[in-house]
Amino acid sequence: MALLPPLATVDPEIEAAFQRLSLELNELGYDAWGFHPEKAKMLYSIARRIFDYFRPRIEGIENIPDGRVLLVPNHSGQLPLDGLVIAVACMLRADPPRLVRAMAERWFPTLPFVNTAFSRSGVVVGDPVNCYNLLAADNAILVFPEGARGSGKTWDHRYRLVKFGRGFMRLALQAEAPIVPISVVGAEESIISLYDAKPIARMLGMPYAPIHPLLPILGLLAYLPLPSRFYLDFGKPMYFEGPFDDEDDRVDIKVAKVRNTIQSMIDKRLAIRESVFA
Amino acid sequence: MATVLITGIAGSLARLTALRMLVDGHRVVGVDYRPPPKAHPSTIPYTQANYNKTRIEDVFRKEKPEVVLHLGRVGNLKVREGKRFDLNVVGSAKIMELSLKYGVDRLVVLSTFHIYGAHHANHIPIYEDEPLRAATRFPQLGDAVQLDNMAVQWTYRHPRLRTLVLRPCNVIGPQINNAISRFLRLPRIPFLLGFSPMWQFIDQSDMVNALHLAWQSNAVGVYNIAGTGAVPLRKALSLTGRKLLPIPAPAAHGYVRYFPGMRAFPPYLIDFFKYPVVVSDDKFRQDTGFQATIGIAESLQRL
Repeated sequence: MALLPPLATVDPEIEAAFQRLSLELNELGYDAWGFHPEKAKMLYSIARRIFDYFRPRIEGIENIPDGRVLLVPNHSGQLPLDGLVIAVACMLRADPPRLVRAMAERWFPTLPFVNTAFSRSGVVVGDPVNCYNLLAADNAILVFPEGARGSGKTWDHRYRLVKFGRGFMRLALQAEAPIVPISVVGAEESIISLYDAKPIARMLGMPYAPIHPLLPILGLLAYLPLPSRFYLDFGKPMYFEGPFDDEDDRVDIKVAKVRNTIQSMIDKRLAIRESVFA
Repeated sequence: MATVLITGIAGSLARLTALRMLVDGHRVVGVDYRPPPKAHPSTIPYTQANYNKTRIEDVFRKEKPEVVLHLGRVGNLKVREGKRFDLNVVGSAKIMELSLKYGVDRLVVLSTFHIYGAHHANHIPIYEDEPLRAATRFPQLGDAVQLDNMAVQWTYRHPRLRTLVLRPCNVIGPQINNAISRFLRLPRIPFLLGFSPMWQFIDQSDMVNALHLAWQSNAVGVYNIAGTGAVPLRKALSLTGRKLLPIPAPAAHGYVRYFPGMRAFPPYLIDFFKYPVVVSDDKFRQDTGFQATIGIAESLQRL
């Protein structure tokens, strides 16, 4: 990251965690998707500062089993900061450290600079072939079944899960991979959206255009994330069996189990949370 | 020992493949629509003939080849679109028909990975049975897609011919003169600012080896061919040791069109500078025992 010279140093904890990963790379140090540990370490070191900003309380991370696994959280907060915090948590707090391969929106490769930063740090396009190949190689996959519908939630819908896609469940069945449900609480309060301005989103080619309550006063500064405290709860792994190409209705029953589990984890955390920031 | 007819013999890949076959004691005859280059070795008989004209049939009639390596796809966009269609589509159809008519035992058609098309939603890797997106965004690539489609149909319509269709990634080498090798030899290599998709390269010597293993194998059907792995484009360009020139993506089409040094650069390649097309060659390696030996860095450094 030539643009950020003072930040282009590797955090010693990140370095130590990367040393413990076992990676399959080609002669030049890349995997087929463009993950490159030398760059990833720097990017994770920057991400770590964002992680620290949200002072996450993490519970149940030991529930992540060895080998292939799908990490399935709720999605919120307009920007994918929840994914970033989960990825850093798995690198620094899981034992042994896990490199998370996040499935991102299909249009991320169209964004200059973002596409290279994402690819070097292990993010891939959310596509069944990518996901299956990475699971088959025993990776931990991070997938948000709510997609952009989830992260673009407005304030009145906060912490209510929207419809889940079925793709993650079919892949879990096909690759015989367990699902670890995750609840993220705190991201909804970091960037608030009162209203999704769809015409503006369409104009800018974005999936949604959040209108922040303080936009008239602060302008674009309103979108700087507030230092809400994040709570990450990792549930027990869920194992599903059955044909991956089953009828939609039957897959939906399994999807609902995961969705309900995450919703109840969120509700439980919200009930005991005393303050948004403390 | 076999008699081998090689099309596109004026090109370096075909010539290198022919020389390799001569070493093994095969008889090689070459055809091309272009006049023979100065470098053409006298050991390989050369016939100048359009693939879509009757003269090509005389070569089949006289030489009775058992093996046809159709390496003569015209990738060069400077050749008029109409002529390219005649050579690539009409001409290839003719060569396939003549191979059938004159009892050829083995037909190898050289296609390209470009026909998959660079697209932001492409997954990694791409396998042989996937849709070919290229022509939807760049109709100029329609002839390449159609050539490939015809050859693939041929594999099952005429099993006697034992047809192989090869879709290699970027073939590069000191003697190769395709668009990419020429591009990588520019004194200042342009790239799109903020983009660096994964690219694959195969060295000319590995590609000759792949062709050699391919026609002698029992494999029939479509195969991707890749080198030793994928590397971000920026990294690949820096490995050439040349100076790099960042171009903002919105200016790319104008730059390619108006900058004098870029006249020969096909605009359809611009998308490949943004989005990855990484192919899987697992099937080819399994069925032929192929293994690329020249590393990406080495290959780029000796361009």
